[in-house]
Amino acid sequence: MTTIPTLATRTHAREAAQALAAELSKLLSLPATWLTLGGTLAVNLILATAFTIAGLQGSTGTKSALDIGLASISYAQAGFVILGVLAACSEYTGGQIRTTLTAMPRRALQLSAKHLALAIVVLPAAAITAASGVVLTAAALGDAAVPVTSGHVAAALSGVTAYLALTTLISAAVGALVRQTLAAVVILLGYFFIVGPLLRDHTPAAKYLPDSAGFAMWFPVADNASAVTPAQGALLLTAWTIVLIAVALLGYRRRDS
Amino acid sequence: MITIENLVKRRGSKEILTGISFQGRPGRVTGFLGPNGAGKSSTLRILLGLDRATSGTALIGSVPFVWLPDPLRTVGAMLDGSGAHRARTGQAHLRWVARSAGLPRARVDEVLEIVGLTNAASKRVGSYSMGMGRRLGLATALLGDPEILILDEPVNGLDPDGIRWMRTFLRERAASGRTVLLSSHLMGELAETVDDVVIINEGKVMADGTLDEVTGSYRTLEDAFFALTTGGSL
Amino acid sequence: MRTLAAEASKLASLPSVWIALAAGVLVPSVIAGITASATLGAITRGAKTLAGVDTGYQELAFGVVGVIILGVVGISSEYFTESAESGGGRQVTTSLTAVPSRLRFLLAKISTIAITSALLAITAAATTMGVVQVVLGERAPALGADDVPRLVGVVCYWVYTALLAFGITVLTRHGVIPLAVLIANTSVVTVTYLLTKITPLANYLPDMAGVRMFIRKLADNTVEISPLTGGLVMTAWVTVLLVIAAIAFTRRDA
Repeated sequence: MTTIPTLATRTHAREAAQALAAELSKLLSLPATWLTLGGTLAVNLILATAFTIAGLQGSTGTKSALDIGLASISYAQAGFVILGVLAACSEYTGGQIRTTLTAMPRRALQLSAKHLALAIVVLPAAAITAASGVVLTAAALGDAAVPVTSGHVAAALSGVTAYLALTTLISAAVGALVRQTLAAVVILLGYFFIVGPLLRDHTPAAKYLPDSAGFAMWFPVADNASAVTPAQGALLLTAWTIVLIAVALLGYRRRDS
Repeated sequence: MITIENLVKRRGSKEILTGISFQGRPGRVTGFLGPNGAGKSSTLRILLGLDRATSGTALIGSVPFVWLPDPLRTVGAMLDGSGAHRARTGQAHLRWVARSAGLPRARVDEVLEIVGLTNAASKRVGSYSMGMGRRLGLATALLGDPEILILDEPVNGLDPDGIRWMRTFLRERAASGRTVLLSSHLMGELAETVDDVVIINEGKVMADGTLDEVTGSYRTLEDAFFALTTGGSL
Repeated sequence: MRTLAAEASKLASLPSVWIALAAGVLVPSVIAGITASATLGAITRGAKTLAGVDTGYQELAFGVVGVIILGVVGISSEYFTESAESGGGRQVTTSLTAVPSRLRFLLAKISTIAITSALLAITAAATTMGVVQVVLGERAPALGADDVPRLVGVVCYWVYTALLAFGITVLTRHGVIPLAVLIANTSVVTVTYLLTKITPLANYLPDMAGVRMFIRKLADNTVEISPLTGGLVMTAWVTVLLVIAAIAFTRRDA
């Protein structure tokens, strides 16, 4: 039999690294992760194509490949919300949570490792998704596109990538609190697609909420002194994410599994 | 060594455990018996840090489970079901558990071999039969080659061959000086496996001792069990 | 009838169904409260003279989120559970042993969801219109004979949307995808609305056609579809989808 290294006391750093490796392994071996990411990319490309066609017909009001190419993100974010919820709620399928907590009983460490693993997976996926629409639109518009500086493109793309990654982490935190995939998906999508946009239109304070603050990171509201700047938006969304993860950690530690 | 002392668990106004105390000793198989709903699973869940006790302690060695520096190599646990996500393969499930304790990948193949799941390793857990799910649960418990095994209803869902195999397996573990605690509501299956017996009913310990002590004047363990859990009216 | 009663009690025992019912009433009436007070502000400032013809109805179009959840959960709960005890067991096996005829099982489910959605739509329409009347007072658009067919249209739209959600979920057997697609498409600017920018044919997609039953002014839209045509188009979509779902459900393994 394989010699299992003797029971030496694990250092905390080692334990944390092993928890991260386990959480990464979990996320990557779940078919739903790949289906969600692939499906989101496909839907994003289809929507970007639709927006581009609309742009060529002149009904979008803009000819910027960046603006048109990123327009689909506000729908494609649904895929990232789902990914976050699945990462958290898949623990409750088949009683996996019991295995998780007997292997990694330090709950705060385990849930933090899960969020970190999710961030590692989602950052490149978000960057690819964000860039895909812009590349597609730029190629289709060709010379018809309004020129934009590469610095502007880089800023917008990194803003979108960070926004999608943080939204995924928020979704995982909410998923960990709610523990039921469908309920968490309803709450989050209801917020991001119905409640959030309506509040944005009707109450000025809504600009500090996660969705509006996040939008400011890549969709700056022009010519408005009181508007949230991209940097402030990033700060606000990060703060929301940290608070929600902290609440999820507290709930996770206190409750019976 | 497993030490449970004065464990009380309340859910809402209902008291599920009303002061449970017993021990699981090294080199012995301890059977934790009781009818369905007696509080067996609740006790094991508290022991494993999954649920919190209202009061009382449950210790592994001298510390609560959640303080163990390297839990997977100290305690192997199998609760009901497979404990694995339906969409993952058996192998992928064992791999992430192995990573959480830094165990080598080869150990995964080893435990698959031990429980006889090598051929089903790359099938999704959702396609497993109940017995296969239980075997996967056992494989997970064995990954870290732990000193202590805690098994909830280990023979549930196993076929006669599987039950026999499990019995021999657990006896061998105890013979090598390790601690085995198993819960069951099936008396007949257990009489030949356990050294010590703890019988609980409605959250209270009704009997605690060696197999002979508990069986006592009754003909079989089963008779003793029914006498103790149905008010002694047999 | 007994199957229907069984399905109704199954539905009532799901926590998500109660969330769906609450969302169905609260979403349109709260939004109506917010928009109506904004409109009132605009009128008193003199920026506007009248509340729009679609006041209240617009909000009821968002309220379908409640019946979307209802339609999805009503069937996905048969396939998927996350309770620790069941270990991921499927209720559908039990259900089909209790009601061996799959078609009857499906019809009972469809009827239960349709009846619940209709009741929910009536309640939501009453509260939403009530909120509009209370907030706007005499500035509210007067409710008249013309509103009867429109409110009937709201109820039809809600029932049809619930059945669409139900039909898609029968096919996918998992609720997340239909929920995501349908909720995303209930947003302020819907995907189907954007598609109408590309091709006028998109006006005949189920939701775009269906809202014609009660919405009178679609922003930036020049294609005219009468309420009756809109209703018929949506009926056709729902019928086709349910037939496909029924065929799939009766043919495949549970």
